[in-house]
Amino acid sequence: MSSQNRRRPSNTIEVNFLTRWLVLVFMFGLAGLFFVYLKNQQHSIGDQTREVENELREAEASNAALDAKITGMTSRGALQRRLDEGYLKLEGIRDTAIARITPAQPAEPDGVLRTASHDPDSRFDTEASPRTMSR
Amino acid sequence: MRGIRSRIGIVCSLLALIFTFFAWRLIYLQVLKHDYYSAKAAEKNDRKKVIPARRGRILDRNGEELAVNTPVQLVYADGSHIHDPAVVASVSAPFLEIPVKELTEKLTTKSKYVVIRKGMNDDKAHDMIRALDHANLHGLYLEEGSVRSYPNCDMLCHVLGYVDHTGHGADGIEKMFDHELTGNDGFRWIEHDRKGREIVVYRGQEQLPENGTDIRLTIDMGLQAIAEKEVDATYKKLHPVAATAILADPNTGEILAMASRPNYDPNHFGDATPEKLRNRAISDMYEPGSTFKIVVTSAAFNEGIVDQNTRIFCENGRFAFCGKTIKDHHGSGDLTIPEILMKSSNIGAAKIALRMPDDKYYDYVRRFGFGQKTGLPLPGEISGRVNPPNRWDKLTKSRMAFGQSVSVTPIQMVMAMSTIANGGSLMKPRLVMNKGEGDKVESPETIREVISKKTSSFISHALVTVLSDQGTAALARVNGFTAAGKTGTAQKISPHGGYLENRYIVSFAGYLPVENPRLVGLVIVDDAPLSESMNYGGAVAGPVFSQIAGQAARHLDLEPEAGSELMQSASSGSKSASLR
Repeated sequence: MSSQNRRRPSNTIEVNFLTRWLVLVFMFGLAGLFFVYLKNQQHSIGDQTREVENELREAEASNAALDAKITGMTSRGALQRRLDEGYLKLEGIRDTAIARITPAQPAEPDGVLRTASHDPDSRFDTEASPRTMSR
Repeated sequence: MRGIRSRIGIVCSLLALIFTFFAWRLIYLQVLKHDYYSAKAAEKNDRKKVIPARRGRILDRNGEELAVNTPVQLVYADGSHIHDPAVVASVSAPFLEIPVKELTEKLTTKSKYVVIRKGMNDDKAHDMIRALDHANLHGLYLEEGSVRSYPNCDMLCHVLGYVDHTGHGADGIEKMFDHELTGNDGFRWIEHDRKGREIVVYRGQEQLPENGTDIRLTIDMGLQAIAEKEVDATYKKLHPVAATAILADPNTGEILAMASRPNYDPNHFGDATPEKLRNRAISDMYEPGSTFKIVVTSAAFNEGIVDQNTRIFCENGRFAFCGKTIKDHHGSGDLTIPEILMKSSNIGAAKIALRMPDDKYYDYVRRFGFGQKTGLPLPGEISGRVNPPNRWDKLTKSRMAFGQSVSVTPIQMVMAMSTIANGGSLMKPRLVMNKGEGDKVESPETIREVISKKTSSFISHALVTVLSDQGTAALARVNGFTAAGKTGTAQKISPHGGYLENRYIVSFAGYLPVENPRLVGLVIVDDAPLSESMNYGGAVAGPVFSQIAGQAARHLDLEPEAGSELMQSASSGSKSASLR
């Protein structure tokens, strides 16, 4: 009895119980951290998405702007201006240099195929014809 | 021991009370006041971002772009994000091209949306944002937009119209097909952070935009350029009040070119006067003069009132009728129907009209499409003026025969001439080939059969003689082709009644090739300051038609006719070329 009283009082540590809780807390902690990590990843990917979208939009806008510029520079009006200014030149095509893809009927005995006259020499001189006017 | 326990009890109770308070507060904020604070947060950070739809393009029949969009940016300021307006202004002012002082005043605001500049160049706007980011400044943001641009400037302006500052069509095709061209804007609910950047994770409901439909016109820009060049040259050379040219396909009613002067640049429509904005091809009515003789001759021949052998006595140039005198430019005796057209005899035309019953004659005028809108999809078309027989006086019928007491629009006259050219069918004029359906072409629409093929052929051959040496339009002949047509010279109506002295609207309407017409054209020159002896349809409008039709024939790759004057001259040309 006395030997029993002499033993130092002590509390037993229930390792299994403690481990269970520690694991549980660790798991919760880990889940929390993982949640935060995923959330941050999501935001980071969101930012990247936004950046890529912006780049794409800028590229599209720049493409559209260049398209508009090209259309403007190659429009008939612009080409006509450049023609007038002498930056471009139109070269007449002689009748004999025209070949038809579709079958043509040779209208002349010489067998020359003609689609139309591009030759100013061959144009009908309207000034030479007599005029008769009436209202 | 008891004291310790009671103290522990008190501390625990206090802690429990505090946590209970926090828990209650949490429940209060998160549950009971959830809607209120959500709304507050949304008000501050949520925004419905509009995703603008792209406005459809306008193309010619070959896909050439006539109206396109150029991307631009709208710059706006969010005052709640700007801490130091002066610093933000100093960085952004060079890009915005606004004085720093003025910009600082604009940026000194608490408003969340203040428009700083519209229509800013895309590259420049992004450079500005990069410069602000580099300086760690915020408060200026961009909103995408676009401006309409017309690469051909003033070419085809009256058909295309323009877009006003709201981005909607205000004239022409832009107005008539605004709904199809505009499309539907999309949207996205976004949440943004303190710096105004979107938080992609919290992206809400979104709807993609439906871009506008491309409108493909029947206009051929090759032909349009030809018509514009010649009309422009006429306008600059003769200085008329106005000049108009229309080209169409007589078999389908497709409008291939439509040019008017004066005109304007739709890129700068603000500079245009009302005179320049008017599309005279559809909104001007004029007394057609002798071109209208095709109606009375066709109607009388079709009804069997006259035939190819009929001869009309033309009173040697002066015909007293109901107290007035109808005059011809050159006096003639008996003339056949083709001769009446060739010599453009007013007396002959009037006498043919007088042989017809009033109702029948009126019916033909209407059947040719006069006095009613053609239905061309352009704003401002008028119907012209054709009075019914119960409003005619004794002279009306005889005058209508040679194009007086009746007012028509240029487009009506083109369609009437197409009726003669295509074998007698009045076609519905078409300006739109399709609406975003690729190469699909709507089938031509015949409004009605007006005259028989026999009548059409008879009148057509008579109209060929108009371009002969004895006719009124020798200068309208087209090199290499047999063309047909009719001149018109009408005195201008005075606003105070009667006619203006020595002021004429001259015109020529014609087509080619006669046997298989591919092109019908009309040229009108309004009030050119020329002497009376020069101001005739055949002398002024005829040569313009010749130039336009000749170039158009080459553009359309029409086969020149054997035996035509071109062939004779081309033959001599090639021989001389080979000799050289």
